[in-house]
Amino acid sequence: MKRIFVTMAAVLLGAGAVFAQQDIVNQRQTEMKNNAKNLGGVLVAMVKGEKPYDQAAVDAALGVLVANAKVLSTQFPDSTKGLRSGDKYSASPKIWENRADFESHLASFAKVVNEAKASVKDLDTLKATVPLIGKQCANCHETYRLKDG
Amino acid sequence: MTRRLSILAAIVIVAGFAIYWWLTMPVVIAASALPARTPDLANGRTAFNIGGCASCHATPNQPDRTKLGGGLPLSTPFGAFHVPNISPDPKDGIGGWSEAQFVTAVMEGVSPHGAHFFPAFPYPSYHRARLADIRDMFAYIRTLSPVSGRAPDHDIAFPYNIRRNVGIWKWLFMERRPFADVAGQSPQWNRGAYLVNTLGHCAECHSPRNALGGIIAAQRFAGGPNPEGKGWVPNITQKNLGDWSEKDIAYFLESGLTPDGDSAGGSMASVIKNTAQLSAEDRAAMAVYLKSLPPVDGPPRVRARPSN
Repeated sequence: MKRIFVTMAAVLLGAGAVFAQQDIVNQRQTEMKNNAKNLGGVLVAMVKGEKPYDQAAVDAALGVLVANAKVLSTQFPDSTKGLRSGDKYSASPKIWENRADFESHLASFAKVVNEAKASVKDLDTLKATVPLIGKQCANCHETYRLKDG
Repeated sequence: MTRRLSILAAIVIVAGFAIYWWLTMPVVIAASALPARTPDLANGRTAFNIGGCASCHATPNQPDRTKLGGGLPLSTPFGAFHVPNISPDPKDGIGGWSEAQFVTAVMEGVSPHGAHFFPAFPYPSYHRARLADIRDMFAYIRTLSPVSGRAPDHDIAFPYNIRRNVGIWKWLFMERRPFADVAGQSPQWNRGAYLVNTLGHCAECHSPRNALGGIIAAQRFAGGPNPEGKGWVPNITQKNLGDWSEKDIAYFLESGLTPDGDSAGGSMASVIKNTAQLSAEDRAAMAVYLKSLPPVDGPPRVRARPSN
């Protein structure tokens, strides 16, 4: 009886740990999507003229990118290596094989979005800046994001 | 009787071999076939960028797109290719090549030694480009810094490793017709069609291939399994991009950002580094042409559990 309890507890604890790791994966996935929503739905839409330029909306969108950039590096702990998101994309194991390079991409992204937050004041500066942000996304996704399926 | 039969067999074998030899003969463009021309370096840079030379030939893990030392491994179903050095280094790169040798390599897929290149090098698309653009590309590459060092040899499985056989592949799958403007289409559309189909070689990845690695013509641009291994290359006909405007496509080629704010990844991220260097007019022309591609169903997508 006791043995069953101990085993059950161990299994539950183990499962709990896996769930917690999966939570981290889901959370970073949500943040990435949030970045996309703010880029695509706000910044890119204004660049293309689908939405009028609105400084407050620009500041808010860039604020989301800046906030997410701050936490990203904590959201790829070793324990999440190999975990799938169950979504369109997953993190490549190369992140953990090449951690220093991966971190330098995150740092570069953080630098670019912080500079953007300080410098974008009108449609022209926005037009010049958004491709720089896109480049940061693509540079890291080139190596460290896997497309599933 | 036996003697006659063996003579007949010998004739058949010799004739068969002669036909094989004739079919697989490499095409070489002679220097005398190149009319006098003053190179246009700006056009050469454009040809270099739309041709995506740097995506494969730039030395990996360093940011300079003009250091063409090669070495990138490309894993394919036929084995691993190691991209060669095409910097102007006279010993390890193409510094010792003549213009005619370069044109032969890029447009015919034949090396200065007269051997076929494997079509991992997208010469079937480059073949249809304008001679002047390839000559300007050569002139531009000659202005870049030489990089020393050679990539390891390709590691290709038998029988694909027999270069002479590539001649048969070319005969079967290489479109020999040079690019021609389509009457009735705008100059912008024709410019886009030219960039997408020749130098841009978009169809090389965005089309399914048959067992011998030939593009399935009916499903050109309809996507398929990634020729470099994992994942799926998207369908870029209107079947999949119907809700992208011309502006969306052009902006993606400039910034790598999709209309919903997602970004290019994998090999496409590298392609965007090339298209980002083009003029806004050229990106718009490509968008106009791509937007005009009729919707075509790609091969059924196998959603296999991805492996690590």
